[in-house]
Amino acid sequence: MNDVVIHAASWLGPEGFGNDQTGLRAWPPPLRENLSRGELGGLHWSLLSDSDPSRFLRMDLMCRLGFMTAELLGVNFDAMPGARRDRLGVCVESFTGSLDTDIRFAQTPRPSIFAYTLPSTVVGEICIRFRLKGPVLSLISPDTNGAGAIAEAVEWLRNNDAEMTLCLGIEAMNMSTADSISLPKNLLPRSWHSAALLLGRAENSPREKPFAAGALVDVCRKLCCR
Amino acid sequence: MEDPVETAVNESAAAIAGCGALSATGPGLEPLQRAVASNASALWRRECIIGKTSQSIVAGFVPDEIVGQLRAADPARADSRAFLFAAAALKEAAKNAGNILDSVPAARRGFVLSTTKANIEALDKLVRRQSVSPVAQRQIQPAFLAADLAGRFDCRGPVQCVSAACISGLSALQQGAALLRRGQADAVFVAGVDLISQFVLSGFNSLKSLDPEGCRPFDKARIGLSLGEGAAAIVLVKRELLSSPSILLSGWGTSNDANHLTGPSRDGSGLALAIQRALAKAQIAPDKIDYVNAHGTGTPYNDGMELFALRSVFGSRVPPFSSSKGLFGHTLGAAGILETALCVLALQNNLLPGTPRLRERDPVAPESLLGEPRAAAKLNCVLKINCGFGGTNASLALKRVLP
Repeated sequence: MNDVVIHAASWLGPEGFGNDQTGLRAWPPPLRENLSRGELGGLHWSLLSDSDPSRFLRMDLMCRLGFMTAELLGVNFDAMPGARRDRLGVCVESFTGSLDTDIRFAQTPRPSIFAYTLPSTVVGEICIRFRLKGPVLSLISPDTNGAGAIAEAVEWLRNNDAEMTLCLGIEAMNMSTADSISLPKNLLPRSWHSAALLLGRAENSPREKPFAAGALVDVCRKLCCR
Repeated sequence: MEDPVETAVNESAAAIAGCGALSATGPGLEPLQRAVASNASALWRRECIIGKTSQSIVAGFVPDEIVGQLRAADPARADSRAFLFAAAALKEAAKNAGNILDSVPAARRGFVLSTTKANIEALDKLVRRQSVSPVAQRQIQPAFLAADLAGRFDCRGPVQCVSAACISGLSALQQGAALLRRGQADAVFVAGVDLISQFVLSGFNSLKSLDPEGCRPFDKARIGLSLGEGAAAIVLVKRELLSSPSILLSGWGTSNDANHLTGPSRDGSGLALAIQRALAKAQIAPDKIDYVNAHGTGTPYNDGMELFALRSVFGSRVPPFSSSKGLFGHTLGAAGILETALCVLALQNNLLPGTPRLRERDPVAPESLLGEPRAAAKLNCVLKINCGFGGTNASLALKRVLP
């Protein structure tokens, strides 16, 4: 794995949020209580930034988590040359996928949320936000550790299919949504989290770290919770 | 000098050992091929519940008689049509792969599922407090549906599930080839399945994307798509396992428009990028492509965008192209695999498929748009393209190789 390096890592979960530069920051107390109960409605962009990305308010839970985690990386994608963004891949892996939104849509169909009933929509949101053109992939996996996303990212980099790859592992489900239809427990994630890792080939980058094989969520947690 | 089309092969190409299908055209490849040859649409009208009202919908429904036969043959999974459909397509693909699978131990058989909503009917029922079997509930989760299907076909190697909107099928085939290339499997069963359900109908109806009279891809008067349901499967194997591989999955590429969540980019640049990536990986020059099976949903913007993309890649010499959505509808997560299976049939039979339900061609479409099927002297290279929500695009190159 010497040829692949980590450019940036971020993490968002019940313990808090942060990246490999800032370390972990705890959620403010009232929100922390809700998040620990699996009620994620309070997660909002304003916790990270004063800016006002209007798209955020339209997004479903999975997209909000992915969007925040990608932003948390602290990478200035806009400063990258367009040719690099055209070859910046995005790979997302999830067990829960869009199930929270699926349930809400099945209960009350609304056109505004139909596009979010796909676990790949978060890839589109991130590509729009950072003007990334792929390659792209969205995996559903029984493992919630994101190992599959990393394997694909490494493959793309080694085959020169991508110059850099943003990997995300996202598990998002409001417990109240699941409870509203008595969702079987085997369809629930073990916990909620969102982890993001920007991988690339070795080059002269100040944040570059050797990449040790491991699952996405474990790597991000380790880098951010130091 | 030998023809480079027939000699240059991407080293990571995978061989296609067998295909299977189940759609509105019926169970199996034979009725599919008959429908292609006669350019007959299998879309039909039925009353469907959308929200709280009943509406008359034209779509590619799998006929009730076939569903009944599948249920009778597997009563334990009778309320998981997704499993029944996919298993039927996989059974045919495995049969068509023949003895080659005998030499592949179960631990070396991988499995990749493509679906957007898996057994979504069970979720609809849970929300309405209707009875659902534990198996059907479990298969709401795409990864569990994949695991159950892999178990049915004794695939004990790596199991993956791709859910990437309407490019899921082509992404899954790409993943199957990747498992072979990495040495994680010697054979990979790639299956795609999706259902027409209240959930899906409500969604597309709310977006006003459906043509009430049935889709008319690349037609001057096209106004929307027709949904379809069904499954398709392709068994991929390492090239060296086949003594005389005939068709290779040779190149692939994906991209994102980075433009809009539900609408395609107007200039087709994202799709063009995916096509260029697939051609580069396959080592095929654009002028060697003999046929393109388009996404061709029948929505004004999608088809228009595809025309831009084709012109961008092929210039004034766009190869013969057509859409198969008028045949069996837009089968979502199954589309990429079903339409790739159709491309395999085209290569095997040297028959260029037409565009069923096309009445008056879009005046801006290139002359090479095929309204009717047409015999070809010999097809060597075929391109399949799909696009989807989230601005995703995918392309796959198939190549016939000399024995």
